[in-house]
Amino acid sequence: MSFDHIMSVTVGGLTVGMIYALIALGYTMVYGVLKFINFAHGEVFTVGGYVAAFTLLSLGIDQNSSWTLVAGAVALALLAAVLVPMMLGFLIERIAYRPLRGRSRIIPLLSAIGVSIVLQQLIIIVFGPKPVTIPTLALSSMTVSIFGVNVRVLALVIIGVSAALMIGLTYLVKSTRIGKAMRATSQDMEAAEMMGIDTNRTIAFTFLVGSALAGIGGLLVVMYYGSLKYDAGFLYGLKAFTSAVLGGIGNIPGAVVGAIVLGMTETYGVSVDLGFLAWFVLAGLVFGLYVQMVRAPRRRLAHVSGDRRTPDYERSIMNVYRLAPYHGIKTLLSERTDALVSVSAAHGVRLMAGNVFLAVVTAVMFVNGSVRLDTRWQPVIAFVVLMVILMFRPSGILGEAVTEKV
Amino acid sequence: MGDARMTRSREAASRGLRNVLARVPRPVRWGVAIAIGAGFPLLNLAGVVETAWLRVGVVSLIFVLLSLGLNIVMGETGLLNLGYIAFFAFGAYTTALLSSPKFDIRWPFLAVIVASTLVAMAAGFLIGLPTLRLRGDYLAIVTLAFGEIVRLTIINLVPLTNGPNGITGIYPPRLFAGAEPALEGVGAWFIIDKPIEYYYLVLVCVVVLAALLTNLKNSRIGRAWNALREDELAAISCGVTAVRAKMLSMVLSAGIAGFAGSLFAYYSNVISPESFLFMQSVIVVCMVVLGGMGSIPGVVLGAIVLQALPQLIREVAGAARSDFEVYRMLIYGVLIVVMVIFRPEGLLPDRIFRREAHEQDPRELEMTRQSLFDIEEGQKDLEV
Amino acid sequence: MGAILELQDISMSFGGLRAVDGLSFTVGENEIVSIIGPNGSGKTTTFNLVSGLYEPDSGDILLKGESVAGLRPDLVHVKGISRTFQSLRLFTNMSVLENVLVGMHSITSVGPIASMLRLPSVRREEKAMYDKAQDILGMFPGRFSGPRQHQPAYSLSYANRRRLEIARALASDPTLLLLDEPVAGMNPAESHEVMEQIKMLRETGYTILMIEHDMHVVEGVSDRVIAMDHGVMIAEGTYDEVANDPQVVEAYLGKQAADATA
Repeated sequence: MSFDHIMSVTVGGLTVGMIYALIALGYTMVYGVLKFINFAHGEVFTVGGYVAAFTLLSLGIDQNSSWTLVAGAVALALLAAVLVPMMLGFLIERIAYRPLRGRSRIIPLLSAIGVSIVLQQLIIIVFGPKPVTIPTLALSSMTVSIFGVNVRVLALVIIGVSAALMIGLTYLVKSTRIGKAMRATSQDMEAAEMMGIDTNRTIAFTFLVGSALAGIGGLLVVMYYGSLKYDAGFLYGLKAFTSAVLGGIGNIPGAVVGAIVLGMTETYGVSVDLGFLAWFVLAGLVFGLYVQMVRAPRRRLAHVSGDRRTPDYERSIMNVYRLAPYHGIKTLLSERTDALVSVSAAHGVRLMAGNVFLAVVTAVMFVNGSVRLDTRWQPVIAFVVLMVILMFRPSGILGEAVTEKV
Repeated sequence: MGDARMTRSREAASRGLRNVLARVPRPVRWGVAIAIGAGFPLLNLAGVVETAWLRVGVVSLIFVLLSLGLNIVMGETGLLNLGYIAFFAFGAYTTALLSSPKFDIRWPFLAVIVASTLVAMAAGFLIGLPTLRLRGDYLAIVTLAFGEIVRLTIINLVPLTNGPNGITGIYPPRLFAGAEPALEGVGAWFIIDKPIEYYYLVLVCVVVLAALLTNLKNSRIGRAWNALREDELAAISCGVTAVRAKMLSMVLSAGIAGFAGSLFAYYSNVISPESFLFMQSVIVVCMVVLGGMGSIPGVVLGAIVLQALPQLIREVAGAARSDFEVYRMLIYGVLIVVMVIFRPEGLLPDRIFRREAHEQDPRELEMTRQSLFDIEEGQKDLEV
Repeated sequence: MGAILELQDISMSFGGLRAVDGLSFTVGENEIVSIIGPNGSGKTTTFNLVSGLYEPDSGDILLKGESVAGLRPDLVHVKGISRTFQSLRLFTNMSVLENVLVGMHSITSVGPIASMLRLPSVRREEKAMYDKAQDILGMFPGRFSGPRQHQPAYSLSYANRRRLEIARALASDPTLLLLDEPVAGMNPAESHEVMEQIKMLRETGYTILMIEHDMHVVEGVSDRVIAMDHGVMIAEGTYDEVANDPQVVEAYLGKQAADATA
């Protein structure tokens, strides 16, 4: 595990993470406002990439083109990669989602899946089933040396551009009039309407912004990898959605944090030896035990009123956590338990199960010290992260910013 | 106003179809459907249609089984499962491993099919355990992730599954274990290897399953599922144990998929991960949506229409396979969107006209009320 | 007269807000008790605690002396508490009859395999359920007769939906019936009719705990009235006693009005 290796893997992870973040923002904004998963968003991203690639191809850019020509072409491609997805996003919302407002959650999701399939097939019909490939440009193969490690300039561009866009988006949502309208609509659509906010326009705007970001993501992917396949949007879309959930759906900074975490996990997952990862997992285990034995019982006690906090009572709370598996079995077997114990025991069991899991993982990793996860398994990492996060903490790292109407 | 009128004519049309069908007694409806199903191969025997059509028929019936299974979770219980094809894969691979030269095992047909069903049920149980508490759309995505994990694992777990190459040479179903093969006369009846034999085997399964599920639907279990679909909080307040009921529906539907997967593996002789793409899950979802969520005759019709019709059109038009697939999927996509927006209750709606989401627009609600009954009270409500 | 329901010092908070704070009361057998109080006084929270939707932070809830606090809602229902909802929660795409049949879920027992095969035991049980549903729906004469039973619940008028919720709650022969604003949104004639039906239920032997804003109904049916404000019980007694309690007047009308009446 050399410094060079760590450095290049980190930059790689950050780059993919930033691309996921650009797409994830679209998911999270739409979920925030409409409470539904815009399944077709991944395809909007693909369309952005294809349109950009075809703009570059039709302008006849190649390795020998002059700098000004390349710059102009990329600018044009950027324009196309923003405008076409925006139009697309607007149309999708208008045609397939607007008539379904207010229906139960899975109905618009079905419609979104339909749209996603239609778009994917349309890409094949329009652009053909082969992946689109752009010629290698001087720009995309250029590298700079940071701390003695060669890093692709394009990776830095992606990180920089994405970061700038996210800061811009945060400003847009936090400090502008339309941003305020978006937040109001996401809180309570009816109330926002009564306050004179044109919710239809606000929602359309949300789709426009999300699609534009996805389109830029498409352009960056095409430039970075040099090619894009018609079904790339499915995997990118799912990973981006995973990022959004990981960070806490509806939460804009959350989407970015989630995307970076996912990008890093994926890249590190297949680039370092298991023995190396084991140390991290071990650290996680120690931290988990600390939370289970010390932090969680104290936090629980902090909610108990003063007169009940006798030494005996405190000891019983501590025991709930330490004897979590025993309590867990008891809770499962008996129909009811004291309310307090049942809440804490469920909590304790979850903590304990997490620690057992980590201990097993650490052991396996140490045993297979020098083995590396095959790259073939990389897509599985994202799916496993998605399942684990939804099962154990569906509200994500930074918490959901979605209001449920009661 | 135009909208409202359109809605009304739509509702009238759907009631019309239902009324026409409702006037035919149920045994007659079943009889006619079974007769059509059973009579189809006779056309082949009489030389009217080619054997290829019979093959299309077998695959269509397998998809009918799948849609009936998905309908339990999606239509009855209201849980969207986007990784349904994974259970199909569990069934198919179990069959392939227990009855192929891969590990040189050949279990008798019934044992294999039971094992396949049980494996798929166990998979359904394990995935349901942590996920059934999730809200609807998250459940859909988790099951999608599950489906993809299963598929990618099949591709990557080469020693067990042969990876992308798949498992070949699955033995034809043999009802009893015993000496191989040359069974003559009566013995030949116990080997199933001709399309027409598969056709009747699957047809019998479909009919039996449809009957069992119809009974289940009209029982306290089916009603508990429907109640969960309509309003989970109210259902648990009525004494329905949500997780248990959802688990039952998940496990049962997984078992049916495993069963169908086993038949599929036997019939196609070769299985590979390509048959278990996410798109396949979507196709089954599409069948349920088209036919009508929660309606057993509906999903049977939906599966046949979506599986048989494209194949027959392809036979007739003679289009190239790849082009054909593209347009077929395009049409499926459009179909989902159109159905969900304009006719969420499907082609052959359930007994009760589903308005799961013909939304809660008060004007429309009030209109239906007038069009159905309670006219005087409906007007009274307006004053409130 | 033994206590059917007994709340012992129940507390429940949401974040920092104490929605119910040290609430204790009992409901005797065959008694109708009404809970009144301004919006946000903790009435519905109390209902949700009793029916198991919430778990109390502290205290205990006894049904016929047996604790039900912290039980899952479905198990609470099995123990014999069934309820209606303030914001109607019918199974709208199911028929009137089916709604009532779902209410019987916990008093029926056939399993999935028997149901699939429609064994004689299933037929017998279905028949019994059907007959019972007829009896219950018959309590609302003319409302759910004949073909109306097979109409979907969404096609019902508002008042009939409330009636159907009550019918669904009655289907499991509850020891205790919780009614959350049974006459909300009804006109005077309709609410009078429901009032008579509630009285009739008491005569049949039911025990009822109810939340109601309509003082006319509260006065008409209650044996006892409990007034709540800010999560605590501020008065208890007959309707007249509670209605004239200065604290209750203050809770509803503000301090000045209370002083004026005093």
